[in-house]
Amino acid sequence: VEPNATVREIRSMFHKLYPRWYPARQSIKLDPKGKSLRDEEILQHLPVGTTATLYFKDLGPQIGWTTVFLIEYTGPLFIYFLFYFRMPFVYGLDERFTSSPHPVVNLACICHSFHYIKRLIETVFVHRFSHGTMPLRNIVKNCLYYWGFAAWLAYYINHPLYTPPSYGKKQINFAVIMFLLCEAGNFSIHVALSDLRRNGSKTRKIPYPTKNPFTWLFFFVSCPNYTYEVGTWISFTIMTQCVPVGLFTLLCFIQMTIWAKDKHCTYLREFKDYPSLRMPIIPFLL
Amino acid sequence: MAASGSGSSRADNGYSSQQPRRRKGPGALATAYLVIYNVVMTAGWLVIAVGLVRAYLAKGSYHSLYYSIEKPLKFFQTGALLEVGIVVFRIVPSSVVLTAFQVMSRVFLTWAVTHSVKEVQTEDSVLLFVVAWTITEIIRYSFYTFSLLNHLPYLIKWARYTMFIVLYPMGVSGELLTIYAALPFVRQSGLYSISLPNKYNFSFDYYTFLILVMISYIPIFPQLYFHMLHQRRKVLSHAEEQKKSE
Repeated sequence: VEPNATVREIRSMFHKLYPRWYPARQSIKLDPKGKSLRDEEILQHLPVGTTATLYFKDLGPQIGWTTVFLIEYTGPLFIYFLFYFRMPFVYGLDERFTSSPHPVVNLACICHSFHYIKRLIETVFVHRFSHGTMPLRNIVKNCLYYWGFAAWLAYYINHPLYTPPSYGKKQINFAVIMFLLCEAGNFSIHVALSDLRRNGSKTRKIPYPTKNPFTWLFFFVSCPNYTYEVGTWISFTIMTQCVPVGLFTLLCFIQMTIWAKDKHCTYLREFKDYPSLRMPIIPFLL
Repeated sequence: MAASGSGSSRADNGYSSQQPRRRKGPGALATAYLVIYNVVMTAGWLVIAVGLVRAYLAKGSYHSLYYSIEKPLKFFQTGALLEVGIVVFRIVPSSVVLTAFQVMSRVFLTWAVTHSVKEVQTEDSVLLFVVAWTITEIIRYSFYTFSLLNHLPYLIKWARYTMFIVLYPMGVSGELLTIYAALPFVRQSGLYSISLPNKYNFSFDYYTFLILVMISYIPIFPQLYFHMLHQRRKVLSHAEEQKKSE
């Protein structure tokens, strides 16, 4: 191997020797307990002597992030429709293909579908992933979660015995406005993050507020995309006044707080001049 | 249900003193707290055991002994919730999920089944799991107490890793039979169930939930049981080698 070879080249050489282990599946480390080396690293810049010992670990079958997201998000989109159009096997034969007398149920379907279509569009056109792949077994876990909850909440919202929100139109209109604002915010943040990697680089940079008012949340929060996402689901809960939606919102909030804290810690570690006012997910609080 | 499971990983990581550990053990204050906790719990379960024996001798039969130990059982079994806190605050290196799961299942059976469905309190299956829990917990808590004080008699270690072979299935049987006995009463009274329509747009059927709980024993119980058997082989053969080398 040449001294100026990159880890990526080493990986493809390894793959030629062992066709079973394609590059995405290889974890190459300098130390058995250490972190995996990145593709861009060059051999002679690593702390090795004239001969280097590299450790290989099989990460198991991998699947691309884009693929995972597409499958994860298409599921809820279509599952919701099964309940909205009241397929015969859902609410019994007597109620098949009927529609709800409440306008809010139609509105909820539009919002839910809009949310997942937006996510699919972002996956294809906006997101730039730093890792290409994730382990295959994650997709089973993730799909169960997204698809399962979509079915559970769609069941109640589209149920013949559904009860519309207690405060009527006021509650619904407030929720819709909040929903749209949060979706716009979430989208703005995704675009802003994507622009940080416009030249195809995979390194991390500090995101800053831009001219778009929605990105001004960056003054206060490291991961405003998660903040807006939680806002979207809170608005959906208010719109439907449905406990399963509320539970889903709670779980989303917990999961995103964990991710936001991780991201926040990573930023703090990597950048000495990271803005000190920022909290991970909720301004001033969390 | 999973009586001794949580302890096993605690025992291996924290208290089998021969294995070198990279992390320091709990500090002096934490150790004191743990010793007090484990001593109190041992005493508590001894109280329950004594209560059972006295009630049996007084009544002359083993039926409906639940009432004689109802209060200490509730108190000390619920007290085990503190163990979740112990693991969450990393005073002891154990899995939060595993510990929480086990404590929750015990608390669930104590409050959401036995306490809530009064008709099952006279069932013999209740005695079955109460006895299993009592013996298991006395052994387990005294095991922790002695381990913390670094004076663990081999007998206690042996008991902890052997008695479960009988006590585990005994406890599980008692629990399952009790839940099964509760089912018709839950169905009849609609206990803890909510049906549509309601303004929260939510429904919950406690009867179905209990059935799902019973079914969940099928995958979970064997895993925990074989885990304990595996731990037994590891710990007791290790102890044998220690004794031989001394």
